Order: sequence, then C-alpha cells, then structure tokens
Amino acid sequence: MSKKVCFMLVHPDYTLDGLRSCLGLAVENMYSYAVVLNQTLPPLDDYNKENIDWIRDMEGEVYSNVPANCENEGLEPLSLEELGQKLRDMDVIVPYGMMP
Amino acid sequence: MAKSLGIFVTSAKNMKHVMGVTKAAKAKGCKVKVFFTWKGTELAKTADFPELCKMADDVSICADSYKKCGFDPADIPQGLTDKEMATQAQHGGIIEDYDCYMTL
Amino acid sequence: MKILNVYRTAPTADVKKLVEIVSEGREASSFDLNVAAPDYDKLVDMVLAADKTICWW
Repeated sequence: MSKKVCFMLVHPDYTLDGLRSCLGLAVENMYSYAVVLNQTLPPLDDYNKENIDWIRDMEGEVYSNVPANCENEGLEPLSLEELGQKLRDMDVIVPYGMMP
Repeated sequence: MAKSLGIFVTSAKNMKHVMGVTKAAKAKGCKVKVFFTWKGTELAKTADFPELCKMADDVSICADSYKKCGFDPADIPQGLTDKEMATQAQHGGIIEDYDCYMTL
Repeated sequence: MKILNVYRTAPTADVKKLVEIVSEGREASSFDLNVAAPDYDKLVDMVLAADKTICWW
C-alpha cells in the first residue's frame, strides 16, 4: 500500500526545495503532501508552479496556514489544528530543513 | 534481528547528530542508510563525511541539490562514487525499505 | 502506537501544539537533541522501540 508522507516547510530558504522533494516522493507512487507554515511565499515561477501541479496530479496536495499563499498561489488552506489531525494519518512526517 | 534505520538529512547543521546516530545504530547491528538533500549536501564536504561513508551501509546525496548549492557534480565527495550522486528516489527507498526513519 | 518526538531545537508553541495533537491517545515519548552531548545510544534504542519517530526542527 502506498505510504502517506507530509513535508512541513517553515523556512523560506528550504521551502521550494522541500516542494521538489515532496514531488520526488509523489513520483515514487506515495501520497505526498506539503504544508507551507507561517511564511508568505514569493511569487512562484513556472518551475515551482509546475511542481505543485504535478504533486496534485499524483493525488498529493500543497497546503498553507497563511491566507496570502492560498489567495496568491492557490494553495489549499489548512489550520494548525487541521494539520495536527492530518499528521495523525501520515506514515512519515518530515519537518524539513530548519526553523528560520 | 536488528532493525534498519534510514536517515534523511535536510539541514546543514546536523552532521554531529548524523555521525552520532549512525555510530550508535551500527554498534547495535542495524543497517543504516543516509541520504542528503538540499543544504544537507553541504555536509558532504565536511571532514567527517568520508568516515560516515565507511560506517554506514549506504550513503548518497541528491546530485541536483549539490549542484544548486554551488558544487560541481563532477567533483564527487570523498567516500562516494558517481552512482551515489543520486535523486530523490533514494528518499523513497528509505521510506519503503527501512524499518525506522529519522529526519536530521 | 508508540510515537517518539525528537527535538532538534527547543520546540516552538506551534510544534508543542502539533505534538499534543499527534500524540493524543498514543504512547508518546521524547528526546532532546538540543543538548551539548546527546546520548545517541539511548536515542537509537528509543527510535528502534518506536512505531514512528518525528524529528521536529
């Protein structure tokens, strides 16, 4: 059965590569999710937008608890409480990179 | 039977922990695989890295990350071969094939 | 399910909240890596005994 993995992205210098890593597991046939926490993304270029689209094409999703990311980049809204509940269902939890 | 442990390294600050955990796990008979990605690949240039490659059963780095961090992919870190200049599939291998998982 | 929470730095309020939710109703333990000389031997024993390890930032 495919594993469920969630990347948590908190540091601006690590976030876009974390999305690439999330996509890397999606193409390995895992349910791969990412959550952008407590930071506003810069305007995404086509490469990073495509990465998000591919994650979704492979039944993953990219969430954020920051409304601007949902409005500007189309990420799915997710509160901290909802993230906690979602993490309970994950096989692997990846606090990616480091705290800012 | 000893378990296996996979370590996914995403931060450049944790070499001490990678070495400490790997050494302890090997002493208990565990099979250990370490995969470095993004800024974690900077650790491939630290003095401890060749020793890690000897201790662990499998060490690889994300070649794409290594390049993005400013290194020349042709400059293979001491302890690795060109086959271990790898992709995110190594992370997938850790998750699928190893009993225990850590992110450092 | 046995959950091991490993802290690479002092946990923030958000991390504490997530740990609380993830650990609720489960057997949870923790290990602090944010010390001068972590006991890696003990940490590996705890990782091997856990069903799931989460290494928070």
